[in-house]
Amino acid sequence: MTDSGRDRRRFTAAVLGAESAPEPTPVHHRVARGVVVDATSYMLCLATPEGEERFLYERVTSFWRGGEVRPAELRPGDDAVVLCSHDGRLVAERVWAQAARATGVITGREGDSLQIDPGHGRPRLTVVLPYRISGRIAVRHPNLEPGYLFDAVGTWRDGEVWAARPVTTQPPYPLNSTPRRPPTRQYSTTVTGIATWYDPAWGRSSHLNPRALVAGAAYPALDPVGHEGVPGECDRRTSCVPLPLLSTGAALSLRNDCTRDTAVVPVVDCAAADSWLCDLCPSCGSQSAGRLASLTMTSFVALGGRLEAGCFNATMTVANQEG
Amino acid sequence: MFPEVLEAVREVQLPLLAALLLLGAAAKAAPQAAGTGVAVLLPERLRRPATLATCLLEAALAVALLTATGLLGEAARVLTAVVFAVSVVLLLVARRRDPEAGCGCFGGLSQAPIGRRTLARASLLAVAAAATVGLAPTGWEVASAPTALHGAVLGAELLLLALLSPELREAAARAATREPCALREVSERRTTRRLHRSEVWRTNAKVMIRSRPEETWRHGCWRFLRYDGLRHGHRVDVVYAVRIGGPGRTGVRAVLVDRESGTVIASFGAVTTLDLQGPPRRLPRPRQAAKRDEAEGRGGAKAGTLAKESPGGSGRGLPDGVRASGPVV
Repeated sequence: MTDSGRDRRRFTAAVLGAESAPEPTPVHHRVARGVVVDATSYMLCLATPEGEERFLYERVTSFWRGGEVRPAELRPGDDAVVLCSHDGRLVAERVWAQAARATGVITGREGDSLQIDPGHGRPRLTVVLPYRISGRIAVRHPNLEPGYLFDAVGTWRDGEVWAARPVTTQPPYPLNSTPRRPPTRQYSTTVTGIATWYDPAWGRSSHLNPRALVAGAAYPALDPVGHEGVPGECDRRTSCVPLPLLSTGAALSLRNDCTRDTAVVPVVDCAAADSWLCDLCPSCGSQSAGRLASLTMTSFVALGGRLEAGCFNATMTVANQEG
Repeated sequence: MFPEVLEAVREVQLPLLAALLLLGAAAKAAPQAAGTGVAVLLPERLRRPATLATCLLEAALAVALLTATGLLGEAARVLTAVVFAVSVVLLLVARRRDPEAGCGCFGGLSQAPIGRRTLARASLLAVAAAATVGLAPTGWEVASAPTALHGAVLGAELLLLALLSPELREAAARAATREPCALREVSERRTTRRLHRSEVWRTNAKVMIRSRPEETWRHGCWRFLRYDGLRHGHRVDVVYAVRIGGPGRTGVRAVLVDRESGTVIASFGAVTTLDLQGPPRRLPRPRQAAKRDEAEGRGGAKAGTLAKESPGGSGRGLPDGVRASGPVV
């Protein structure tokens, strides 16, 4: 898919000019992802596609595994994402273990577990709501019934997502009753909204799966023509932000409005669930509703996002040379 | 005179009611209409079936009003009056339950909150349906033999209904607003039609191997189609860019890209918007240029072969837009 994406960008640039398809930024060297081999109180050993890597800690290094934990609480076999400190790829600044996200529409409920359909033909997720955080979830998601939307961050445990915190406020109506966006007259190549993340590898064997480290984003306004051959129909709706229609392979220039980090990410997938939601991100920067893109885990961290926060305010530019 | 007018008023109601019922049924059949309007009174899973049932009932009543005679016709007229009367009650209940809810009378068009006008319209139609009970002709007979009096009554009543319909403003707004080209969803067939009509396509017809594109992708206002091609024994990619909307003259561009080296061999269809640096400030239009060339006795360049061959970046020293501007088609 990446090869075809590169060709598409090359051809687009040949017709519309080089600015219309900028070259994607490679995954930042500060971000690593792999499987925990050993975690002690002074060093983390990670199996990554490049072999075994070791990371030291600083006093301020924080560890997340459904909540702030001590380094020794990371277990061998955990899927971990490491953001290194500015000095180089030696000292870890933040470590997330077993991070998982469930975004989609609720399709069933049994006791304290929910079935979530993430859209786009992706496998359905089982989300467990532990009693300890069920109150916190209920504040932001009052309707845990089939048909309503759900978005929470948690940890993988035996193939299920154990919710740790909600990352959106649920719309008060079911997905089918979502009002349509009124037609827009104005269109600008620069759009503000929020960027979220998803895990293309579903937390499984991230040291072997090449998808785990893909730099890219799933886009909520994918053109249906030319996306038929891909498994899973892109069952998106019209997003509440006026987003230009694109296909996989297009390049988005994204800026994190909080940290002012910028990157060019290629579109690699359809973000059906993100076109269903029209929410705000309670972080710094401009406050605009609507999701622009769902970055892969590593791209999200490289752009300065915090996985447990689930989103950041972003500005997106899709160059459209009309020369 | 008065009894004739009254008779005409009663008769006109039959085709008018049938037409309104058919319009309502058609609007409710659209997928966006599912579960809108009065259906908010029902639980979620029953809303769609309820909308569909209403749609079928309205269509059946419309057909019966137009064609049925005798007892069946009378029954249809009474039922129509009852349906409109019940709808007034339902609208009142729905308004109390959810003041923001639309009436859903014409599916997705009726999104304005239920107001007095909507209620008045439903009541008026209930009275109109009740007035038709006991009439001899069917709706079809009235519609097929109209008189001037019928026309006048119909005009007056349509004006009254238009004043009572919040949907008209919504429909006008939808018709007037056009989404920008970058957001507009366009079928593949439409793009292909525009491509096949263009001069750029005809120019490159001989280069392409297959008639189906290998892949299609979208970049905002442009849809790209890539075809396999063969040129002088070398495999090339023929990439077309088709503009969504906009003027047809500049709607299609193309590049030929060598498969092995990846260099752009030729480009077609781009029109510069920049002025040239020296005189003449603007390039002549292609037809004028061809005529002038003929007059000067050169005559070598035909419309089909205007493609500028650019191996290794010819046209150096010109601004970007100008370099691509030669083959204006």
